[in-house]
Amino acid sequence: MNSPDSLRSPVKNARGLGSARSGVHHFIVQRATAVALLVLAIYLVVLLVSLIGADYAQARATVGHPCNAVMLVAFLLAMFWHGKLGLQVVIEDYVHTPGRALACQLVVVFACALAALASVLAVIRIALGA
Amino acid sequence: MAEFALPKNSKIQPGKRFPAKPGAKKVREFRVYRWNPDDGANPRIDTYEIDMASCGPMVLDALIKIKNEIDPTLTFRRSCREGICGSCAMNIDGTNTLACTKAIDDCSGSGVPIYPLPHMAVVKDLVPDLTHFYAQYASIKPWLRTQSAPPAKERLQSKQDRARLDGLYECILCACCSTSCPSYWWNGDRYLGPAILLQAYRWIADSRDEDTGERLDQLEDPFRLYRCHTIMNCARTCPKGLNPAKAIAEIKKLMVERRT
Amino acid sequence: MSAYKIQTHEFDMVVVGAGGAGLRATFGLASKGLKTVCITKVFPTRSHTVAAQGGISAALGNMGEDDWRYHYFDTIKGSDWLGDQDAIEYMCKEAPAAIIELEHYGVPFSRTDEGKIYQRPFGGMTTRYGEGPPAERTCAAADRTGHAMLHTLYQQALAHDAQFMIEYFALDLIWDQQGACCGVLALDMAEGTLHLFRGQGTVLATGGYGRAYFSATSAHTCTGDGGGLALRSGLAMQDMEFVQFHPTGIYGAGCLITEGVRGEGGILRNSSGERFMERYAPHYKDLASRDVVSRSMTIEIREGRGVGEHKDHLLLDLTHLGPEVIHEKLPGIAESARIFANVDVSRQPIPVLPTVHYNMGGIPTNYHGEVVQRVGDDPDHVVPGLYAIGEAACVSVHGANRLGSNSLLDLVVFGRSVANRCAQTIKPGAAHRKLADDACDKALANLDRLRNANGGTPTAAIRLNMQRTMQSDAAVFRTSKTLSEGCQKMAEVFASFEDVKVSDRSLVWNSDLIETYELQNLLYNAVATITSAEQRKESRGAHAHEDFPERDDANWQKHTLVKVDEKGKASFEFRPVHMFTLTDDVGVVPPKKRVY
Repeated sequence: MNSPDSLRSPVKNARGLGSARSGVHHFIVQRATAVALLVLAIYLVVLLVSLIGADYAQARATVGHPCNAVMLVAFLLAMFWHGKLGLQVVIEDYVHTPGRALACQLVVVFACALAALASVLAVIRIALGA
Repeated sequence: MAEFALPKNSKIQPGKRFPAKPGAKKVREFRVYRWNPDDGANPRIDTYEIDMASCGPMVLDALIKIKNEIDPTLTFRRSCREGICGSCAMNIDGTNTLACTKAIDDCSGSGVPIYPLPHMAVVKDLVPDLTHFYAQYASIKPWLRTQSAPPAKERLQSKQDRARLDGLYECILCACCSTSCPSYWWNGDRYLGPAILLQAYRWIADSRDEDTGERLDQLEDPFRLYRCHTIMNCARTCPKGLNPAKAIAEIKKLMVERRT
Repeated sequence: MSAYKIQTHEFDMVVVGAGGAGLRATFGLASKGLKTVCITKVFPTRSHTVAAQGGISAALGNMGEDDWRYHYFDTIKGSDWLGDQDAIEYMCKEAPAAIIELEHYGVPFSRTDEGKIYQRPFGGMTTRYGEGPPAERTCAAADRTGHAMLHTLYQQALAHDAQFMIEYFALDLIWDQQGACCGVLALDMAEGTLHLFRGQGTVLATGGYGRAYFSATSAHTCTGDGGGLALRSGLAMQDMEFVQFHPTGIYGAGCLITEGVRGEGGILRNSSGERFMERYAPHYKDLASRDVVSRSMTIEIREGRGVGEHKDHLLLDLTHLGPEVIHEKLPGIAESARIFANVDVSRQPIPVLPTVHYNMGGIPTNYHGEVVQRVGDDPDHVVPGLYAIGEAACVSVHGANRLGSNSLLDLVVFGRSVANRCAQTIKPGAAHRKLADDACDKALANLDRLRNANGGTPTAAIRLNMQRTMQSDAAVFRTSKTLSEGCQKMAEVFASFEDVKVSDRSLVWNSDLIETYELQNLLYNAVATITSAEQRKESRGAHAHEDFPERDDANWQKHTLVKVDEKGKASFEFRPVHMFTLTDDVGVVPPKKRVY
């Protein structure tokens, strides 16, 4: 009963810091990456199934094929982007301490970006025959 | 952080038992949440046995019978007793609903559990504090906003446009939906919740209102609107059969529409 | 009484009650620059206006021929010539503008094909001064008009930044030594603290007292608090004997089934399936006014043509309307009938019974909403600082019987009227009248007594006695015998309040205490009602006296004024009916025989 909020007017608390006037971009990208992932995931499954029984050299050659490499990079970008957006929502949902929330968000962004960069680089290296 | 366990002073203790009068034939048990801030004790569950032969069919009838005949200190809100005022919203048999339209026969099990609306501060017994809910309602400026001068007669509205308000304007602000929404539980301070978003959409959908853009601007926010994760508890629990989730989806659709 | 700490708040205007009338007055006053507060015991959208279904009348003529003069005539005829014709003229003339205003506020009215406000026929609403076909005059938002209106009015109050004190219960009016009302002492239910709201004017908009009866369409909160405040302050109430029974309350539950059902073509039937209203009201049949239909139904039941195991109710049949009309125009009652009578209205009739619905009587006012009393030879003496509107008031536009859909109109027209009046007569920020040091003592003594009441009879038991007495002895039909027995029993019930027991000693949300206050208010209203009925030796409108079955204009075309003292003893005076108009736009309608 004695929190500072209780001495503010209820409408002050309800209006808070006002509308961020953003969110629809997040909404659109999350759905766009979801659709992309649906297609790309099927492609990935087909690709992996086709590799059953293949040896390392065959697998490398398949991944290095320009078509497959492009699709794989696309899959990785979509996955990490989508993942970042999803984790962002989870943190917004459950982490309410302002500083901690911001820190968590940064960790997610950095982790997803690093993972994306590393995995894309791996595909590129294979594709360019490094 | 989100809290996953009740604080110590909210842990529910066993309460008193009020047995039915001897000779009662059709006895039904009601287990009611009790808490009085005055006595400093933890909440408890009191158990009342009611003879259904002398009780009306609705849960509210049983509560009133308890208050009139057994325990006048039992505290709850009630008014119209016909499901239109929204006073007696509470959690009955595990679902948020109106006590006045919830038939006792439709409750499962032998004991009917009755709690206040979930995850709201309790004022006393079954009376939750709805101050923030009402303030959120006020914050969306829920009235007709126009720029053009009003005509001498009524603003004309086609039957089709009027029909778009069906399923929206009937909301009674009972808060059953909002307090059933996990997202509202975790983020009720910032998330508007299904009831208020339904009301926001009621004005967006009104062909007479000329402030649609500003209304959408005010809603476009990761917390105010986008905490809705289509969990759908709102639509399942609404005692008036409305579908706030659909209204929220419509708002989200319009948000995209004005960007594309 | 210094043990109780009182916080004082100063406003220009204090409104008690946040139903349709209270909200309209509140934001009306606020928009006129008067510092206004609205005290309400329930959150505004919980007020019982929300349950009004059928609609709000106004001669817009959207669906066919209409004229406000026809509406004026119908209202006078409906009132059985007990309504004040100046006030009725004012209300009916203001009606179209009031509806347009509501539409501009955003009320989601149903629409015609041209996009205008949809209007439906209602009981007693006719054209060409009762000679033409039924008028389509009642503006509707499906069958949830009250809900649509109340929410819109609350929204307007928000738009005007009106100030509310929600879940505050008005304990007593506070008066200065010159007899001017200076405000209200109220209890904050959430915290149990006392607040004195000072106002240059106090508006009572507290609604009716349907809960004085056992079976009523009214909400549990319709406890006549304004009437109780006025009577306890020694003011007289007017025409309290006129209690409207709505023909179609759901049998058993008592929930309302709107007259709009009959407006849309629904038919009342008896045990043989006969449309019995043809016999009682050959011209308008099921759309005769409510008192006529309720009496006809009671006669049918009495003569053994009721339905059910005990032959104690009748049937409202709308199976012939078709699912489309029901879905578009009557969705709410379809829901109510399913929940409370287990009936699918498209296939089965609804079991119905006349049920207490509305109090024509109330605090006497003029058409500005100013409370008036008889003082010596002046029947229209204005009580300084006190106003009343809505069902709590008796303007009197409804006389001895209200027409359906005139009450929502009453709310907005007189809610607005009181705001306009105060804008003219009250200066914002003017000094408050001086209060004596002991001005609150009587109110505090009452609070102290009730809070600590430790008698032998719980509130609910006294309330049940009152409700049963009123139900059996002040019913649709009354006789000298039932009324005198009723008066005696009510006197005993009133006296038993001395022995009341309040169990809840807490200060937070003590609903046991609030219910006891409400019971006290109800008791005053109930005594006023049954004693007024006992002394009126004629039949008029809703007061059907079997020993005096005819209307007696020579002796009884006058308003009853009743006071109830602390012992529950009633005393009577009278006010003349206003048989004059405000302008020459319309003539006085002289009494004639009332047939539908």
